[in-house]
Amino acid sequence: MKREKSSSILIVVICIYLILPLLLTFFYSMFQQWNDILPSGFTTQYYQQLFADSRFLSALVRTVLISVFPIFICTVIVLLAMYVVIVYLPGLDRIMQVLCMIPYAIQGIILAVGILSLYVDAPEPFSNRVFMLTATYCVMILPYMYQSIKNNLNAVNAPRLLETAQILGAGKLRAFFSIIVPNILSSIVISMILSASMIFGDFVIVNTIGGSYFETAQMYLYKMLAQSGQLSSALIVLLFVTTLLISVGAMALKSKNKSSER
Amino acid sequence: MSYIQFQNIHKSFGSNEVLKDINLSVEQGQLITLLGPSGCGKSTLLRCLAGLEDVTAGQIFLNGENITGKSPKERKMGMVFQQYSLFPNLNVYENIAFGLKMKKLAKDKIDKRVKEMVLMVDLIGKEHEYPYQLSGGQQQRVALARSIATEPQVLLLDEPLSAIDAKLRKELQTRIRQINRQLGITTIFVTHDQDEAMILSDVIHLFHGGKIEQSGKPTELYTSPKTKFAASFIGSYNILSGSDFGKIIGEERNAQKNFAIRPETFTVSPNPLPFTEGCHHFHAIVESHISHGNVLRYTLCTNGVSFHVDVLFRSFQLFEIGQKLYLSVEKKNCLEI
Amino acid sequence: MVNKKPKLYLLALAPFSLLVLFFEIAPLLMVIVRSFMPEGRIGFTLEHYISIFSKKLYQQAVWNSVLVSVVSALAGIAIAFFAAKSVRSVGRRMKNFFISVLNMTSNFAGIPLAFAYIILLGNVGVLIMIGKKYGFSALAGFNLYSLVGLMFTYVYFQVPLATLLLIPAFNGVHPQWRESVELLGGNGLTFWYRVGIPNLLPSILGTLGVLFANSLAAYATAYALLQNNFSLLPIRLQEQFTGDVTQHKEFGSALAVVLMLLMVLAIGINNYILKKNRGLQY
Repeated sequence: MKREKSSSILIVVICIYLILPLLLTFFYSMFQQWNDILPSGFTTQYYQQLFADSRFLSALVRTVLISVFPIFICTVIVLLAMYVVIVYLPGLDRIMQVLCMIPYAIQGIILAVGILSLYVDAPEPFSNRVFMLTATYCVMILPYMYQSIKNNLNAVNAPRLLETAQILGAGKLRAFFSIIVPNILSSIVISMILSASMIFGDFVIVNTIGGSYFETAQMYLYKMLAQSGQLSSALIVLLFVTTLLISVGAMALKSKNKSSER
Repeated sequence: MSYIQFQNIHKSFGSNEVLKDINLSVEQGQLITLLGPSGCGKSTLLRCLAGLEDVTAGQIFLNGENITGKSPKERKMGMVFQQYSLFPNLNVYENIAFGLKMKKLAKDKIDKRVKEMVLMVDLIGKEHEYPYQLSGGQQQRVALARSIATEPQVLLLDEPLSAIDAKLRKELQTRIRQINRQLGITTIFVTHDQDEAMILSDVIHLFHGGKIEQSGKPTELYTSPKTKFAASFIGSYNILSGSDFGKIIGEERNAQKNFAIRPETFTVSPNPLPFTEGCHHFHAIVESHISHGNVLRYTLCTNGVSFHVDVLFRSFQLFEIGQKLYLSVEKKNCLEI
Repeated sequence: MVNKKPKLYLLALAPFSLLVLFFEIAPLLMVIVRSFMPEGRIGFTLEHYISIFSKKLYQQAVWNSVLVSVVSALAGIAIAFFAAKSVRSVGRRMKNFFISVLNMTSNFAGIPLAFAYIILLGNVGVLIMIGKKYGFSALAGFNLYSLVGLMFTYVYFQVPLATLLLIPAFNGVHPQWRESVELLGGNGLTFWYRVGIPNLLPSILGTLGVLFANSLAAYATAYALLQNNFSLLPIRLQEQFTGDVTQHKEFGSALAVVLMLLMVLAIGINNYILKKNRGLQY
């Protein structure tokens, strides 16, 4: 059909538009020179250089740590709070929703700058950059974790499950943590993974708050830009592949989840 | 005092009064039904009994003990919901065992009891399956087993069969009745389906607008509804105003009153009927007819008033539209309400 | 009878409350309060806000930010509209492939994106070289390090997000409507103009709000491309707090408040339109 053909063409064009920059970056990392239209001098030296650079490796380790730590903290915090709201104080749900949506309006530079200016001269541990960074990231991913946990609680009809467990003799705490939580766990894990890739790709917050105290991969990349294009592109490819693997992992978990639910 | 006693129960949600001065008693071992349309308060009363809602005023007694204000855990009742409410992360065995685990019973005792329950609800072989692998009927059986595994004093069922298809419903109704009889558990059933209530109950309490409209044995309620609402909810009564009734039987009747007549109590014939003492005699024209399988429902008209009559489909004799029929009905079957 | 048991469960609420209080509410309030304080001392003043709207430098920053955001959001949603529309008429395999590409490239933003565009359209970028060699003067003379260049780059990260948001919306456009229009004598254009787009409007406008807010707050891409050479609100903001020479916390706070208000405006319009159109949903 005519409509189908022109639609396909459009989709292919858009795919090319989207993939082209990625592809070019990849090629850039694999060649020594690119002064003309086509590059020359195929090599993997830039990747080798990266992995030999201890500064890069420590930046990478820091990135991984800072992507993982806040997520667990945030999840526990939100779960505990949701426990109280669902079991005891359903009236607070509206307030919690507003509080969890605010970070969306103050995202990025505003949050970073607000927290830095407030606590940079404060007593420990508040002035500790890593502490600040972790807390800032917790707030940054709050909307996503909250929304995901909330949607899942609705999907399993948490209040009804809680009632049933209570009638069967379980206390409120036990009911929440041994019945509700296991049922929403696999879906929470997906949002945790996606939050991880968000933190992984963040620059503005870590640059503002971490500064020279805590160099992550993104900051290392920025410094690399001025030095070597090829090394930069190699780094970009590495980082991108990492986030890609994380997302693919999340998608795989999601479809495994779906298949085990009817 | 009865086994379960509701005294002067009031329940409001904000400004909305859902239960208005309910007084109700249940004898031990009975299977009683709370019947009524949606929103009449029957589920709320059940939830108050379970401890899932607090009453605004009034007391609830169980076996002489005042349980008002006690938590669900302390009341030791079993409950089955419309949406089964099985724990998705536990298999059949673990779901049924849950309450027993909460009671901290020994492992072998739990095992024995769960096996008994699985046998009782006919789910042998399915112990290790998860809820998503079961059909609706199977899930409800698990919910049933789970609720009685802990040997509760009272079993509560909140419209448990509404989400199940008709044929399966009959089976489960029988099963619930069996459980009540065999185990002697006092059972309270909530439904909006009057057929279900009639089949299952020892006593039916008809709810309307937060109050109990009428209570009684199924046949009592069926043959003697006391109010217009009761007559319209139970059975398929003809409800006629006094003047309409008067037009049918050819005598004046009090226009302020209503008259309720069951459609199956008419005697119908294409030929004039012999006069019988204590009956009204009149004739009517056939307006339409519908087959309900073994029963034919005719809509007849006398002096401009339409009413319906049910006739068992014994022979192939079908009355035709426009045909004149002769009817009689016993006076005592014309209830004044 | 009310239970006077100590409410132990409130402890579970504590971590959340502390996090939100110290790292969300406090910074937010601080920024707002500071924006009204004169530099270096306590007091109340509107001088910062007046500066923002009177000094050319900052007017420019606000204007540039809004312009880039509006244009890239509109361009992004236009492309996304046609993309999401096309997705409906292709086979399942292509649809799944396309959605995977969208998911994959929605991760590609910030500094990596800026870098890729430098390779592509920078001074010695591949496309520039092609333009020079084959005489496409428009391409050859393209300046990435400008407002237009920035818009181009921003569009790239708007497209996947917008498309992913719009695809489900198109599921609500029933083919039967199209058929009815054709039976009544209309054609494709009539359908989209009178039925399709009006019904999609809540989703389109909602997504526009998200896109706009997204690009207003974008920092990394702009920073990597332009550093401080170009006046954008987030960049000017950051300068006030981490400048090498002097810091202007109070003024920076005012800038932050302006940025916040723009974001809230975007999201607010989004919500308002959604609420208004709820009545249209049957």
